[in-house]
Amino acid sequence: MKIKLSSYLSFRLLGVMLTVLFIWSAVYFFVQMREIHAGIDEGLENLKQEFIRKAGTNPNFIEDMEKYRPLNIIVKEVDFYDAKDEAERYITTKVYFETEVEEEEVRMLESYFFCSLNGKYYSLKIFTSTVESDDLIKNMLYTLIALWLGLAIVLMIWGRIYINKATKPFYSVLDYLEKFQLGKSGEIDMPETSIKEFAQLNKTVKKMLRSSTEIYNEQKNFVENAAHELQTPLAITISRLELLMNEPGTTDIQIKEIHKILQTLNRMKRLNANLLLLTKISNRQYWKTDSVDLTALFEQVLGDFSDFAEHKNIHLSIVRKATITVEMNSDLAYILATNLIKNAVIHNINGGRLDMVFTENTIVMSNSGLNKPLSDKMFSRYKTGEDKMDSSGLGLSIVQSIVELYNFSISYSYQENLHTFTLRL
Amino acid sequence: MKILVVEDEYEMLQSIEASLLAENYLVEKATNYNSALEKVLLYNYDCILLDITLPGGSGLKLLEEMKKNDMSGNTIIISAKNSIDDKVMGLELGADDYLTKPFHLAELHARIKAVLRRKEFDGKDLLRIGNVSINHKNRQFFIDEKEIELNRKEFDIMVFFTANLNRLIDKETLAEHVWGDHIDSADNFDFIYAQVKNLRKKLRESNASIELQSIYGVGYKMVEKDL
Repeated sequence: MKIKLSSYLSFRLLGVMLTVLFIWSAVYFFVQMREIHAGIDEGLENLKQEFIRKAGTNPNFIEDMEKYRPLNIIVKEVDFYDAKDEAERYITTKVYFETEVEEEEVRMLESYFFCSLNGKYYSLKIFTSTVESDDLIKNMLYTLIALWLGLAIVLMIWGRIYINKATKPFYSVLDYLEKFQLGKSGEIDMPETSIKEFAQLNKTVKKMLRSSTEIYNEQKNFVENAAHELQTPLAITISRLELLMNEPGTTDIQIKEIHKILQTLNRMKRLNANLLLLTKISNRQYWKTDSVDLTALFEQVLGDFSDFAEHKNIHLSIVRKATITVEMNSDLAYILATNLIKNAVIHNINGGRLDMVFTENTIVMSNSGLNKPLSDKMFSRYKTGEDKMDSSGLGLSIVQSIVELYNFSISYSYQENLHTFTLRL
Repeated sequence: MKILVVEDEYEMLQSIEASLLAENYLVEKATNYNSALEKVLLYNYDCILLDITLPGGSGLKLLEEMKKNDMSGNTIIISAKNSIDDKVMGLELGADDYLTKPFHLAELHARIKAVLRRKEFDGKDLLRIGNVSINHKNRQFFIDEKEIELNRKEFDIMVFFTANLNRLIDKETLAEHVWGDHIDSADNFDFIYAQVKNLRKKLRESNASIELQSIYGVGYKMVEKDL
């Protein structure tokens, strides 16, 4: 699955931020705990010093301690050997408080001292309440989650708004390129951008498209000019040969030879005319539109070909479920109908058939013909059937050009020896 | 019959002239706008063949000038531009026909004859060749004053051949004339043979003084029989 750029950036950014935040939180937690404990430990140490000083000067101090039992100091007499090697230590532990009816976390100093008044050794435990690390972790986690969520929401919204805004020029270029059709699309109009890369992209794309369009137009004009310029020499050659053919004294062989040349010239003439037609269609020189009754037009053109059809004993059937009227250039409509029907009649077989069905928005033509489907390149220029040397091979590409011009569509299928063209309007 | 040919391509002009002279027309030539305008304004022509792209001005402009001066010249535009707009405008400006280059000389003759016929006889003409006559307006064909039934295509073929008497018409030219421009496949012209065969039969059966000769598989020629 492809992900949008803004989502990708937001997610990535969010991921990095969450990781950093998590590590930072952990570090912060430990630093904070150590700082808290350091402060408490200092207090405990002071308390201990005071306690030992008092125990060394007040003879009743130990007895009083045992008598009053203050809550946070525990004094016990120990053997010399027990006390001798023991070092002082600070620990975090739990102590049961009756008032709270639960164990509380405390910071405790365990130490030993020697009372010079009675010459005894004692163990000393002084403790005080400290920050509940569980609670701290919990609280930190909650605030962290809140922060994460907040960040996520902000990032998502930010991503949507700012990244989209920042990448707008990029998307407009993308959109334009996607819809771009050489020779059809106008000059690209791109929004101003303050981002260097996008400005560069805009500039490059503009430059590229402009030069492509220029080359395309030049080529089109060349084809049109070439085809046009060829008309006159062709006309001269044809008329001169026709004169020669009728010259008295021309022999049979000469007449036959001249005729062959004329046939070739005729082919050239048609090729040229079709090329001109193609360039004119793609140059949108047929801009005048009328309301054209395609049903009537197709039937009329079919009538024009009735001689061929009759001669080949082609069985014609026309089913008219609807009358189709479209807005288009009437000359192009005629050319469209002629090329399609000519194709279906000329390439038909003796005793074949041609079925035409008109519906609301389709014209379906099925005809018999070669016992194999046409090449899938039949709509491109110069791909003719192998057995037809005299057709220009431009008929179907002219059809295609007209179909494209009006955003119609045409499809081809081959089934049970029937070639079917479906024209969708 | 006097015909003015306005054409800037010398070679083209030459071959049109040669072809027209063979039909015994009087031919005048103009190779640019100004000389054409001068001739048109000074003399009367039965027919004018007019190219559109001319040095010094457009053929359409010439038509405009003629229209302004209330002259009807039986004009046929001959142009390399197969532009519908030009065609429409030319016809609106009073041209009688429009022929796109390259064309067949036989086609040119047929068009010239049709234009001359329309103007000269108001369409009520009766063309006579030997014992054969054709009423173009009513699309009737007679041999020895007896009407012979011809179908639409047969009649068109007959008219085309009579306009090109003694000229060899190859089958492509014939097909193009009778079946229109879109017959570009030399696929097979069997159906033409069939039509021509019928015509020949009808001519023969009624003892017509003309016949359609088949020329070496190239085409046909209508000739008058030596009776």
